[in-house]
Amino acid sequence: MKRTKYMMSKGLAFAEKGDLEKLSKKAKQGWHLKSLALAGYRLEKSVPEEIEYSIDYRLLREEEKEEYFEIFSLAGWEHVCSSNDMHIFKALPGTNPIYSDKESAVDKIERLSIPIFSIGKFIFPLTVLFIIMMSIFHGPIEKFSTIAFCISLVFATPTLMMVIALMYRKRKLSMSKEY
Amino acid sequence: MKSLEQLTDSVFYIMSALTKPSHGYAIMNLIEETTKGDVVIGPASLYTIIKKLLKEELIILHDASDSRRKVYVLTDKGREVLTEDIKRRKVMIELAEKGLMEES
Repeated sequence: MKRTKYMMSKGLAFAEKGDLEKLSKKAKQGWHLKSLALAGYRLEKSVPEEIEYSIDYRLLREEEKEEYFEIFSLAGWEHVCSSNDMHIFKALPGTNPIYSDKESAVDKIERLSIPIFSIGKFIFPLTVLFIIMMSIFHGPIEKFSTIAFCISLVFATPTLMMVIALMYRKRKLSMSKEY
Repeated sequence: MKSLEQLTDSVFYIMSALTKPSHGYAIMNLIEETTKGDVVIGPASLYTIIKKLLKEELIILHDASDSRRKVYVLTDKGREVLTEDIKRRKVMIELAEKGLMEES
């Protein structure tokens, strides 16, 4: 049986570049990305190699997959693994980047933002509602809303952090002259 | 790329390549060869732009018999938009050329 190990993700909304660089470093030590795992990556022991990784977000219909992966593969980016709308590719160092213009790179961040923003639209008003309930009611309703507030805060806090991180990345990219 | 009214360079190149029916990889190759490697469209950018052009009805699926290499081509609307953008770019170039010539 092949040896595998787990590498934790720092969160793709915050540290996509950091995660991908760390995966490259691991590949140099012989640990290759095999698949995506819960909040991280599963690596498999193999020979040390210089590999660059890239990630794209896109919800693909079944009939779109072949064409999408073919375009990447002909450009030198081999598909490694996917999970829902997340796709990871690998290539030799020096392969042209998967995004060559700013506009479509901004579009990528927007696609990544959609699910996070929709959670935000639901959880932020709910949290505020519980705060209001906590302050106007007394007795059992107050107790209930305090507990509900604490629970919603557990979800609202990381969501808010992700929303801020994504907005910051989009802004930074829109203003950069890198492309 | 909120709206395609003013085409970005990448969109302009891809639409120019699609004046004839072509598939994704052929588009990338044609652009790279024509510009002698100065302009390379990344696969993720290419795919994003193709989807956007389809949505805006500037290109259509021409031949889907090979599901790995779908062939697209400009629509009449696409030809119109491209022609308008050529005009816009010509004005830019004429201004620069005229300026440089007057100087010398």
